[in-house]
Order: sequence, then structure tokens, then C-alpha cells
Amino acid sequence: MTESSLPLAGLRVLDISSFIAAPAAATVLGDWGADVIKIEGPDGDPNRTIMNDSANYPKGAVNYPWQMDSRNKRSLVLDLKKPEARAALDRLIAISDILICNFPPLVRTNLRLGYDDVKSVNPRLIYASLTGYGETGPDRDRPGFDATAYFARSGLLDAQRYEDGPPGVPGPAQGDRATAMALFSAILMALIHRMKTGEGSWVGTSLLGNGLWSCGVIAQAALVGAFLPHRPPPDRPRSALGNIYRTSDDRWLQLTIVREDKMWAPLCEAIGHPELIDDPRFAAIEERRKRAAELAAILSAAFARRDYEHWLHALASHSITFGVISRPQDIPDDVQAFHAGAIVETAIPDMPLTLANPIHVSFAKQRIAHPAPALGEHGDEVLHQAGLTAHEITELRASGAVR
Amino acid sequence: MTEPLPLAGLTVLDISSFIAGPAAATTLADFGADVIKIEPPGEGDPHRQNYKSPNYPRGDHQVNFPWQLEGRFKRSIALDLKNDSARAILERLLRRADVMIVNFPPPARERLRLRWEDIEPLHPRLVYCSLTGYGESGPDRDRPGLDITAYFGRSGILDAARYEGGPPGLSLPAQGDRATAMTLVAAILLGLRRRDQTGKGGWVGTSLYANGAWSNGTTVAGALVGAKLLPRQAPDKPRNALTNLYRTKDDRWLQLLVVRDDRLWGTLCTAIDRPDLATDPRFTDRDERKMRSLDLVQELMPVFASRTYAEWEGALSKTGIPFGVIGRVADVVEDEQARHAGIFADTTNPEVPRTVNNPIRLGFAMPRVSGIPPAVGENAEEILRETGYSDAEIAELRKSGALG
Repeated sequence: MTESSLPLAGLRVLDISSFIAAPAAATVLGDWGADVIKIEGPDGDPNRTIMNDSANYPKGAVNYPWQMDSRNKRSLVLDLKKPEARAALDRLIAISDILICNFPPLVRTNLRLGYDDVKSVNPRLIYASLTGYGETGPDRDRPGFDATAYFARSGLLDAQRYEDGPPGVPGPAQGDRATAMALFSAILMALIHRMKTGEGSWVGTSLLGNGLWSCGVIAQAALVGAFLPHRPPPDRPRSALGNIYRTSDDRWLQLTIVREDKMWAPLCEAIGHPELIDDPRFAAIEERRKRAAELAAILSAAFARRDYEHWLHALASHSITFGVISRPQDIPDDVQAFHAGAIVETAIPDMPLTLANPIHVSFAKQRIAHPAPALGEHGDEVLHQAGLTAHEITELRASGAVR
Repeated sequence: MTEPLPLAGLTVLDISSFIAGPAAATTLADFGADVIKIEPPGEGDPHRQNYKSPNYPRGDHQVNFPWQLEGRFKRSIALDLKNDSARAILERLLRRADVMIVNFPPPARERLRLRWEDIEPLHPRLVYCSLTGYGESGPDRDRPGLDITAYFGRSGILDAARYEGGPPGLSLPAQGDRATAMTLVAAILLGLRRRDQTGKGGWVGTSLYANGAWSNGTTVAGALVGAKLLPRQAPDKPRNALTNLYRTKDDRWLQLLVVRDDRLWGTLCTAIDRPDLATDPRFTDRDERKMRSLDLVQELMPVFASRTYAEWEGALSKTGIPFGVIGRVADVVEDEQARHAGIFADTTNPEVPRTVNNPIRLGFAMPRVSGIPPAVGENAEEILRETGYSDAEIAELRKSGALG
């Protein structure tokens, strides 16, 4: 399979976005063959340094988030506040198919980077907009991050908490990456539209919209006045057989026993409490539900006696279903993660494995990841492609418009 | 401004159940595709019953609200796919289809002859879209994948989503399924683009596990290079007091997210009426603020607890300081901003008058307005007539039990 056979080969993408959701959509376009040019300000995309800047990122010897979000991109530094840089950008817009932008609306206006501004330069251009909270409305200009817009504002974190506990905890960029799939879909929709009509278009999505789509069940419920009470903590569950338990090595098992009538005896055997099988306190579902806290206490003590490995085998040998709560550090060793195509090899020497985007197709393979670009690494080559002469490029560098 | 919907003219066979696959089909329908839902006779897609599940929200009246999300715009035909006559119907439907969405576990696909290699000879132009829990091969290929186990549990999200010493995080009903639906949509559109270019269909797909890992990608990519996520400290013991949760006077949670405190530290001190902090020698730069986050949080907690969230909103909203409130779903449905973002849509279904839009916005088309989703098999006769069946043949099929 040669690169030219990738479904998005031949498309040129200007990634004028920062941090994660929008750049990750550009990454996915690149995975499927598009030529992605990352346009950064003189300081570079702050995602270059987020691993160290954010207290909530795992710290590695390799700048893995930047490598993942910028694989196969080329970097050009333009100081878009300078008119010469803005003019150079128009030359690039003229030869591009897709522009991805996540500046707040006010900045777009100031930089003349709204859809109408760029449409006049290239009417076939697809303009993909990512915002925190939408393109209009009272919070239009509020900076949106995935923790605030996707998780907090949508009601996800409030719903994801145990009764009386603090709100749920989002993982770093968790909502951003899910949103990247919606933005990527929007772009593909526009490509289909362009194929039919020859015209470019505006498409977009918001972090808030994606958060609410993801928790669509509870959002749709709220629209008809139905609500989900907060989950009681594991020591007083609604059902002790649909509950989580800590093992002796501080792992968690998620019991999900639906067929209680059938599975009660095997469970008692598996946890080494055969005497419970005929214990009148837990004789049937009704009693077990009524005494859920009491039963949970017995099960907690039992599960806490042995380690996770033990329980994996003990439960499986009694055909008891349970959910695996993996730790992130388990995933690199999970054979199934490779079979699912989630983890793939790279051409990056100090980061030999990375995450593929979750789309798989029979007719093409995602491009292998090459190292992310240094800031401004491809400036001359990209400007040259846009038709600028060596002399013009020198001028732009002298003025500080290109770094 | 509004042009024909971009997916008008496409026929999609939704042979999937529950949520991720059907929600992808819904999104295609939102933008104009004709979606034919093929369900088992009788109860139909088991998702039709999910609103009664104890894990689903409850209201005063029992309304089948999730079905508005997964059933809207679809036409339903009930086929017993184990019946040979039903197979013949399916093959005739397939020949007229552009896209087919399947989420049967691999062994069931094989039994029902519904794998891509079974379908491709019949219809090489079809875009065949597969959803699995754990992928198309490997030791857990046949394991039933649910979003709580495959997307959230296995991918490390639940373990990562907890406070130090606390239990794993919680996921909401179908939360990962619905995010995965966007990936399926993208996969299908990629397949359609390729068909437009080459005239050939193909297999496209994704798994819940891969989507969970993608969403948790920062943490998983960290794990791939041996970097470990530190457990999140409880809000009174943050590693960084400037990206932390604060309880307000009216018992809401304000989320402060000052990532660029190199630029915003002074602004924050002014906005919270604590200019003294800006010159406090303990907190002069980023490193010190991070190093002394336990001291800083002790300063900030009483400050935030002294005013209501509405007061904080007034004080912070013009400053450029990133913050948010931990929203409650009950508030979101009345949120003016959600209306501006096009998140909710009115329907013509009196029982469920508003629904959740898919998150894709297009400048050239609006998603369709939805009505009442179909009952099991409601559109069978019209679908079969379009496919060329006579009334007599339809009656025959009903008698044989192939058609529910």
C-alpha cells in the first residue's frame, strides 16, 4: 500500500490550532494521507510544553503528547499580527483544502481569520472551527478547555461522582480527543459536499456540544425531566453484586453479576464463603438488595485478602463475569490493545510505540508516525511550495513575520 | 443558505443494537441518509427497553427518551435473520444499500454470514462498518464489549479518573458508546470518500476499546514511554492550586484552570481581591506556586467559599481567567449557551419534545428535525415494496416468520 493510495492523499491542511482537540483532528487527517502544515506563533503551540507545564500530565523522558499530536506535520512559524505574515498566510490558504482554527472568535476577527475572510481567498476551502462553547452566545469568547467545557459545563463531572463526594476526575485531554473525531467527521462531511458541489464550506463543533453528546442519555433524560441519582459509594451499593471491590494489591474488580439466581452459589464458592450460599440473610435477590451494605462488607473483606491475579483466575474458573479496571500502565502489555489496532509502531526512535487513531479501514493503513517537527522546521520549504521566492522569504524573515 | 443535506440519497442498513452503532446511524440520518433499521421480531433492538434499566435516569412519567436518540428518523423492519427467507430479503436490501453497520460479535457474524467476506461478493460497492468491543482479532475478540468494560474499564480511564486512595471513577450510561459513534461516522465517511474515488466499497470499523484508549490517549501514550499518571489529589490537596476545584458559598464547585499562570497570576490576584498574594514572596513564580500549592490552596479555599458561584462568574468572566462551574445536567438543558452551540433541537414528537443534536455543525446544512421513532417493524411493508416485493410475497414472508 503506497502513501498515494491513502484516502486523504493529495489534501493540504493548515493546522492553525493549538493544544489538543483541533490539532488531533489534523493528526487524524495526516494519518490518512493529508499533508498537514502546522502554523504556529513565535512561541509555538503551548502543547509543545504541556507535559511539563501541567501538573496533571504523566511526566516522561520523551515529549510523548507533542509527538503524538504532531506526528507527520510540518511546522511554519508566522507572527500573524504582522501584515506581511498574514499576506503570506493567504498564499498558503490559496493552495490548501482545509483550514483548522481554534482561536477564540475575537482573535479570529482581529487576525482576519473568520470564514468570510478566508473564503474570499479560496472559495473551495473547508474551514473547520473548534470552539469551547459555540460560535455565538454569551460565552462565545470564553476560553474553553476540555476540563471546563466538555466535562464540567456539560454536567458530566457532576453526574460522575459518588454521593456526597467531589466531582469526577477527567483524564488529561480525554474530551479533546473524543471531540477530534467529531471535528474530523465534520471535515469529511464537507469534503463530500465539495465533491458534489465544488464548493468549500464552514464546518465545526464545540467541546460543550461533544460533552453533551457523550452524556446524551442523561442530557436527553433531563430534557424530559428524568434524572439519575448520584451513585452511592462502594461501601453502600444498591447491589453488592454490581459493585467494585479492592484487592490486596490495591487493584479494583468490577462485579457485574446480572443473573444472580444462577451465579450466587458460584460466587460464594469463588470467594471462599460456601456457607453464604444457604445463609438466610442473603437467600434471594430481595434479601441481598435489602442487606446490600452488609453483603458488600463481607465481599470487601474477602476480595481484600488476595491479589488481583488470584481473583482473575478464581472468578474466571467459576464463570463469573467481571469488568477489568486496567491501570494505564497495564495497557502497553495488553495483547488485545495491539489486536484492536490501538497501539502501533512508530518511526520515532525514542518513542517506538504510539496510539493509532481509532478508525480502521480495509483499504488503507494509517501512516506510520515520524517525529513531530521542531518549531518552524519547515518554514522555507512550505513557503516555497506556496510560490514565495527566496527573496520574499528572506524579507519575511528579516521583518520577523516568519521565524 | 441551506442546501440539500449532504448525505441525502444514501441508504444505510443499521443491523446494530444498543448504542454506539445505532447512534452513528442516527448521525448519518440527521444529515439526510435513509436509515433502515433491521431488528429481531418481537422486542426489536434491546435498547428499546433500556429506559427501564435501574442505571438509567428516571422521571415521573416513563418516557422512552433514549430511543429518541438512537431511533430517530429510522425506518424499522423486523427480520429473523436465522430464517432463510429473511436472508433473501436482507440480500435484496443490501443490493440497494450504500452503508451497512454491524455490531454482532464475530461468532454471530459468522453464523449469520454477515462478515465482510460474506457480503463483499454480493455487493462490492458497499461500505461495511464494523463495531466490536475489543477488535477483530486477538484473545478477547469474541468477548461481549460494553462501554463500561471495553471503553472505560479496559482502557484505563476509570482507574485514572479517581482521587488518591479513592475508588475508580464512574462513567455514565452510554458515555463511551456515544463518543465512539463519532468515530464510526468518520470511518463510514472515509469509506464513502474512497468509494467516490475508486468505485469500490470496503470494510471500515472501530472498537470500543480503541476509542477508550484514544480518548485516554495522553495517559496511555505516557504509559507507552513509561510515564505514570500521578493520582489526582483531592481538592484540598492539589498538586497545582491554580488548576483545582473550589467549593463556593452556595455549594457549587468552581473549576479554576489557570494553565498560563505565567501571564495570569497578577490578574487572578486582582480579580479575587487578594492583591497581597501577587507580591507574596511565597508565590512569586510558577515553580514556587506549584511547590507551595498546599499553602496556596489554603489561601484560595476560604476566598472562593466566601462568595456564590454567580458572584464569581461576575468577578472572573471578563478577566480572561479560564474557569468553569461543575455544571449540573438539570441546568444545562436551560443553558442559553447550549442553544447557541446548537446542542439541543426541537422535535415533533410530543412525548420527547427536545432532543440532543449530534455535535457536528455544517455551514451548508442543518440536521433534520426528528419525529417519533419507529415501532418494531413499523415500516416493513413500505421498505419491502420499495425493494420490489409484491403484497402476496410480503404476506408469505409474514406467515413464514421471517418477517416480524
